[in-house]
Amino acid sequence: MNITKIKPSLAIRLNTALLAIAAGVAPSFVQAADAPLKSGNEYMVVANYPNQINVIDVVTDKLFKTCKVPGAFGPGVMQVAPDNKTAYILSNHYEDIYGINLDTCDVSFHTRFSSDPTVRTKSIFSMAISPDGKEVYAIHNPTKLNTDHYRIQPTQLAVYSSDGGLDAKPIRTFPVPRQITVMTTGADGGLYMAGADIYKFDVHTGKYTTAIASRNWQRPLYAPPDVLNAWPIQTPSKDFTILYTTAKFQDDSYNVDTADWIYGFMNVNLETGKTQTTDFGPITEIYFTGMMSPKDPNIVFGVLNRLAKYDVKEKKLIKAAALDHSYYCIAMNHDGSKIYLGGTFNDVAIYDADSLEKLGNIQLPGGDMAISTSQIFIR
Amino acid sequence: MKFLKPINNKAQLLDQAVTDNQVEEVVAMSSLAGCTATTDPGWEIDAFGSVTSLCQPMESDLYGCADPCWWPAQVPDMMNTYQDWNKDAQNSKDDWRNLGTVFPADKK
Repeated sequence: MNITKIKPSLAIRLNTALLAIAAGVAPSFVQAADAPLKSGNEYMVVANYPNQINVIDVVTDKLFKTCKVPGAFGPGVMQVAPDNKTAYILSNHYEDIYGINLDTCDVSFHTRFSSDPTVRTKSIFSMAISPDGKEVYAIHNPTKLNTDHYRIQPTQLAVYSSDGGLDAKPIRTFPVPRQITVMTTGADGGLYMAGADIYKFDVHTGKYTTAIASRNWQRPLYAPPDVLNAWPIQTPSKDFTILYTTAKFQDDSYNVDTADWIYGFMNVNLETGKTQTTDFGPITEIYFTGMMSPKDPNIVFGVLNRLAKYDVKEKKLIKAAALDHSYYCIAMNHDGSKIYLGGTFNDVAIYDADSLEKLGNIQLPGGDMAISTSQIFIR
Repeated sequence: MKFLKPINNKAQLLDQAVTDNQVEEVVAMSSLAGCTATTDPGWEIDAFGSVTSLCQPMESDLYGCADPCWWPAQVPDMMNTYQDWNKDAQNSKDDWRNLGTVFPADKK
């Protein structure tokens, strides 16, 4: 029986309740898909299999509701629009973007990067929203699928109008460097793109400058950095933060046996445009994401197999918490008191940011979050 | 390429590219993703030559590696070739027994 043909709103409610029961979540806490978010309340969104967006109430630390997303999962990179109502998700195996109205779970925007079946176009985590919410940005990495061979086409930035509807086409395109991954916009409208270096791109002229040198940094006695850019986290402090690892040699003999192995972060303050490249400690373990504390920029957290906390000035590990399993993606509430760990499996872990004591888990309906980006915002 | 001998078509094309001085078009990625042939440590062994910084348990890292085709030799490429590999195992922690081995399809 296709219940969606009988009564869509009933179908949505049944859908949400079934999802909640299936996950062992008390359905009384979980709202219907069309339940609007409360203005002024703080929420977290994170995607998981089978292609859905979970909305978590960050005040009560309960699952609020779950929105279905059309098509197939992957990668679940999300950006929350400045209206704090629309979540954009990179989906369908990196080939589509959907805009989801979080109040209703309706699809308000959709684009498929390629309309040509002989061209496969992916965006490798590259999606951003303009600060006024009127434009959506994506990097297109097209491949021409010939019968006997594939041919890589030039990469480009595609600019969409956010009111482009359900078959949105680019309103502008510009050539861009290859190897762009995560992106975000500054308050002045500049688009920051992490690639070989971190570029600042003018979305009206197509011109760009290097905001932070990464592969091409010129730091005496430092090796080029190794970076991992898959999670464009929108932080409460409006920072665009990317971790790096590197080696610092003792002298110009460049002896790796005596080098210091270092963790650090590159950062763009999205309000002011100020950039920094800062070492924060020795490498003792791997972190997939990191974030500065909204309360204190001298404190930085990193996560993968442990949740670790560093004093940046002292370049010292202050504390670390063992985790139940690996988590890829860190998020923090706006007052900086709680840390939310997402990605990998289907539970979000919550930690006290001061003590690193575990506060609980939120079990999500459905499957793995995998490499999805979790975002916290105030509606 | 001095010590490597190409044995398949792709390797021969790479070899040819070197011969034709086209190697400058190939630039190492500072951030790896997307079906890139890589020796980046992280699946069988971590960056320290150990296993403690590998994801734990390994199932937690399965779809984070398969979705973006991160290590296409170690886990199936779900970005392009085996997009439905986990259709019966969307919760890897509980359903991993439903994951199978994949094989290239015969060309039609």
